Amino acid sequence: MSAILQILFDALSLGSLYALGALGIALIFGVMRLVNFAHGDVIAFSIFALLWPSTDAVAVIFAGNLPWFLLVPFVLVMGAGLSVLAEITVFRRFRKASPATMMIASFALGFVIRYFLLMLFSSRPKSISLLPALSQPVEILGARIPLLQVITIAVTVAILFGLTSFLKRTRFGLEMRAAAENFTMARVLGVRANRVIMGAFALSGALAAAIGLILGSQTGTADIQMGANVMLMAFIATVIGGLGSLPGAVIAGFLLGAASVVMQVTLPIDARPFRDAFVYGAVILVLIFRPQGLLAARGTKERV
Amino acid sequence: MSARTSVARRTLATPLILSALLIVFALLAWFVGSKPFNQTIIDIFLRVILVVGLYIFVGNSGVISFGHAGFTCLGAYAAAWLTMPPMMKQTLLPGLPEWLTALQLPYWAGAGLAALWAAVWAALFGKILMRLSGIAASIATFAMLAMINTIYSNWEDVTGATSSVVGIPIVRTVWPYLIAAILAVFIAWAHAISRAGLALRAARDEPTAASASGIDLPRERLIAFVVSGAVMGMGGALFAHSIGVVTPDTFYLGLTFITLSMLVVGGMGSLSGAVIGVLFLSVLIQALRWLEAGVTIGASKFALPNGVQEIALGVVMILILARRPSGLMGNKELGWRRAGSVAPDVSGQKQPDLSKGVSK
Amino acid sequence: MSLLKLADVTIRYGRLTAVRSVSLSLAEGEILFITGPNGAGKSSLLRAIAGVTPPAGGRIDFADHDVTGRAPEDIARLGLSMVPEGRDVFGSLTIEENLLVGTGMHAGERGWRARAASALEEVYATFPILKDRRNAQAGLLSGGQQQMLVIGRALMTNPRLIAIDEPSLGLAPNITDQVYERLIALRRQRALTLLIVEQSSTRAMMVGGRMILMRGGQVMMDGDASAMGQSEAMQDAYFGYGEH
Repeated sequence: MSAILQILFDALSLGSLYALGALGIALIFGVMRLVNFAHGDVIAFSIFALLWPSTDAVAVIFAGNLPWFLLVPFVLVMGAGLSVLAEITVFRRFRKASPATMMIASFALGFVIRYFLLMLFSSRPKSISLLPALSQPVEILGARIPLLQVITIAVTVAILFGLTSFLKRTRFGLEMRAAAENFTMARVLGVRANRVIMGAFALSGALAAAIGLILGSQTGTADIQMGANVMLMAFIATVIGGLGSLPGAVIAGFLLGAASVVMQVTLPIDARPFRDAFVYGAVILVLIFRPQGLLAARGTKERV
Repeated sequence: MSARTSVARRTLATPLILSALLIVFALLAWFVGSKPFNQTIIDIFLRVILVVGLYIFVGNSGVISFGHAGFTCLGAYAAAWLTMPPMMKQTLLPGLPEWLTALQLPYWAGAGLAALWAAVWAALFGKILMRLSGIAASIATFAMLAMINTIYSNWEDVTGATSSVVGIPIVRTVWPYLIAAILAVFIAWAHAISRAGLALRAARDEPTAASASGIDLPRERLIAFVVSGAVMGMGGALFAHSIGVVTPDTFYLGLTFITLSMLVVGGMGSLSGAVIGVLFLSVLIQALRWLEAGVTIGASKFALPNGVQEIALGVVMILILARRPSGLMGNKELGWRRAGSVAPDVSGQKQPDLSKGVSK
Repeated sequence: MSLLKLADVTIRYGRLTAVRSVSLSLAEGEILFITGPNGAGKSSLLRAIAGVTPPAGGRIDFADHDVTGRAPEDIARLGLSMVPEGRDVFGSLTIEENLLVGTGMHAGERGWRARAASALEEVYATFPILKDRRNAQAGLLSGGQQQMLVIGRALMTNPRLIAIDEPSLGLAPNITDQVYERLIALRRQRALTLLIVEQSSTRAMMVGGRMILMRGGQVMMDGDASAMGQSEAMQDAYFGYGEH
């Protein structure tokens, strides 16, 4: 029982990371058909914003000493700010470019962010102690679950609820959903393109920062590569979920997390190191049978 | 067949001009005669092979592939298996079958077999993947790359996992790389004017018309995928011989993105774009490296801090793409005459604006 | 005083010229049909007016503003509402949400909420079927219902001019009749200006008003719809093989 509970929590917390990442990518894809490869670097950036530039192995804390109720908003604002800045300085120039061109531009931007961090902080991972209170375990039904896992899941659920009600209940949310489905038509109805796109970038950046916070607390290190792995899985989740579909992205993120954890447990010992290869193989299979994604955005395809 | 030969004659200028350009670079290395510069030119030729290999699939099909670095990985490790001294293989890669451990081929034979090995895998993967289009296809190629990388990073006995495989014979002269780069250019050209290449480009530009005229798209894509996989495999083998060491992560995301960037910056719709993109960005990278190492101006030494090279490269890429979204070559080919083009009907990449839906 | 004025408008897609040097003006409260065969440039003209495809040359004035090359949202905010061909409903949004998207441009104005609510009631009164299904996903509506939805959605923005592309496309004749009945009634109630693109001229002749006939990207005729119906030039424009 406790073993199963442990697996469940592992799957949910890993899935949470992937889901938040996929959501950040899907939000931007929805409004401007951009597959944003800089997303992973926004994750790293928001954590490094807590540190003072130095190339030493020991992190020099800057904003990291803030109490948590200031630290968390600070990191979120850094993520959102960088993301909006990227929109204004770079992506605005690519509104009419082909998806391939935009994708490469986003990669180039990620490259710039990564090496900017490298220049200031060197490539060595730095140990940080972020929200240390979260690392002790709690007992749930006889299983010892790290408090951080519980919080990760709770926070993700809270974010998902918050975002859903924002999208469903507010005027801005309505405009974003309309723009995500048919951007030109939304504009013809007076929806301001720049505002919606900037809103999507801000949300996406804040989501990236939230991932950064979780990863930073989990691993206790700040590493300029820290966002890369989550971004890859998130990217895949976005496609499996049906590009542009936000609920699809979230569900696919959790599915990928679950698949990874379940394979880790069920594969024979010899095959375990190859776990990710099986996950990627499963992804290819899903795409073959449902190229439009498991949950293709409803309504967009059904035209009479 | 006469129509084909006339197409060949009309478009032959492109590979010839590109080859001449490459030969100029090789002669430059010959005259300068410095070792590091020689290595720089070798790196450029390797990138030409890889980017041209990528172009064969991406350029002709219009489907972005993130997976081609995987074929480079396959090729590089195949070269290691085929050309390393048996003694080293026994210690580093004890899981290899005996006949393979005992085998030691010259590098060129190894490269040929490596290309074949990559092509076989391209055919196997392609058989499944080529049924997909658009972003789903791109993601699937990505998953393929991640699969290959995961396997090569963990198969201790056969690939040495993440540790470096050393002892691959190093080839230091420029010429084999030059010949391979020219070979890649001609393979790409021959594919582009073949029935499969023409059909594929037609389908890229006019998907509806192409399917109506009975083009078997998955088949034409598969052909391009296999040919480009073979070229990537050959590139991987030579890559291994240029530095003598391979690790799986050499052939992962970094390489994927640098090759894709060069292709897109040059213009992914044309062979000339592929080659020009490599030459342009390589020269830029080299110039920035020199600045990073330090330039003496008068009495003071001026050097850029580390990391500026990559940052500048990223900024330049963004600026070029913002100015010329279809790349430096704008999908045109170099030719004797102004409009000389491998594909006269390729008037430009489709640029879908934001008016999806309304334009239906 | 004209509400909409086009001077020498030319529209190109790459090397293809869709509309060449078209000039026309439309007075407040007028109803204008643009007809012509497939590929005449009618839809392109509409898209240029709405700011979706900026014209390659010429000038467009709407409500005393030069709107040439302006963003679609800016033109919409001046009071022009376009209903594109193919009924672009937001399929994943509910009907009510579809209707509300366009009211956002008045957000911040005094009393906009109340006005939006009453506009909603008005649209529901005009198209009762939409009220019945207000919480259904718009993608699930039938073609005729979607057509009503997009017209209702355009009305919600409280426009001075509605430009509609092919309102009868894909609709059964009796439903087309209904849609037109509503449009004409609305025009009377609100002093709305209407610009309607239709491939066939029969509807224009039935409804009456002014009609422009386009062919090959140019205006061939401009006049009273019922009078033009009889003319031989009209037949030529559709079926003739004149200069190109």
